[in-house]
Amino acid sequence: MPDAAGLDALWDRFRRRDRPALARLLTLAGRGESIGNIPRPDTPSRVVAVTGSPGVGKSTLIGQLLEHLRKQNLSVAVLACDPQSPLTGGALLGDRFRMASAADGNVCDDGVFIRSLATPGGQGAIAERLETLIRVVEAFGFEVIVVETVGAGQGDTAVHSLADVVLLLLQPESGDDLQFEKAGLLEVADVVAVHKADLPGAEFTAAQVRSMLDLARESKTPVLQVSSKARQGVAELWQAIQSLPLRRAVV
Amino acid sequence: MANPIRIVLAKVGLDGHDRGIKVVARALRDAGMHVIYAGLWQTPEAVVRTVADEDADWLGLSLLSGAHMTLVPRVLELLRVAKLDHVGVLIGGIIPEADVAKLLDMGVARVFGPGTPLDEIIDFVKQRREATNA
Repeated sequence: MPDAAGLDALWDRFRRRDRPALARLLTLAGRGESIGNIPRPDTPSRVVAVTGSPGVGKSTLIGQLLEHLRKQNLSVAVLACDPQSPLTGGALLGDRFRMASAADGNVCDDGVFIRSLATPGGQGAIAERLETLIRVVEAFGFEVIVVETVGAGQGDTAVHSLADVVLLLLQPESGDDLQFEKAGLLEVADVVAVHKADLPGAEFTAAQVRSMLDLARESKTPVLQVSSKARQGVAELWQAIQSLPLRRAVV
Repeated sequence: MANPIRIVLAKVGLDGHDRGIKVVARALRDAGMHVIYAGLWQTPEAVVRTVADEDADWLGLSLLSGAHMTLVPRVLELLRVAKLDHVGVLIGGIIPEADVAKLLDMGVARVFGPGTPLDEIIDFVKQRREATNA
């Protein structure tokens, strides 16, 4: 742990946009060590949480989003949560590999920052102190911050309060319509995307979700079909995300 | 468990054999480390970027292609440029004995060849960490 002078030096480097300094501050904050006052961001970032069951394609879609956002010259930080063993404390953090593959390996420029976060169980599928970590990357000046949850599927709703937009990924054949009626995920989703829409049944799943959302009263939650494999629907998805208000600013 | 060791594992260049590095990744994970698996076909630039963003203590590279004398010096140079000299570099894979000494001279912390017991790798990483923390 750095002393006060060491911490000042880190923040100094941070203000000069030194990425290793940003990375170290995230490590310290993630461990729960004091990092002092986090500077206020010049402009608030748009924080997008991506959630959905394991294997639904969160990392892959984020990779495609990265590519799309870089084409629009938006800078992006990704905080990718992966599970940590309750037995050994160890973790294998593999999200960034799939993001890079999905983005044609082109995630090496200064406009992209990817950080893997080991996430203990029982945290609502997000890393400890995620709120602080978000504020640190926001202060660094990234325009978009993407948070990938562990992917617990049902009930990982803790991201809702930390994000401006919660994107829920589903895939075709992911259960009957009652599955979507369970309390939790669908309630906190601001945008729903049926991923792997190149597979048969995507349209049916989208219709099911749509009708479940509209069951009580008409819902404004957009339901889109996206295929990372066929490279379809990513631009429309970002359009939907972008058109929503910055919820965190309201709170 | 409070401050787990963070290690990036990657394959640079074009060789597509990742069985070995996955075995090592699993062993280090089970030893309580946080293993950031960067996977196949990484460029030296992408690997160094990963090490920087992930604030890693270690970088483990696996090479079975014979390109180690080209790729490893490049990675070491980029680490120096990025002021990441404190990151320990481990090499695994098929490295001819004559090249091992050269790699160590360049600043590689250790070269682990085929048949290395997994505990040897774990112990090396953990001991070095205790030494630098002392």
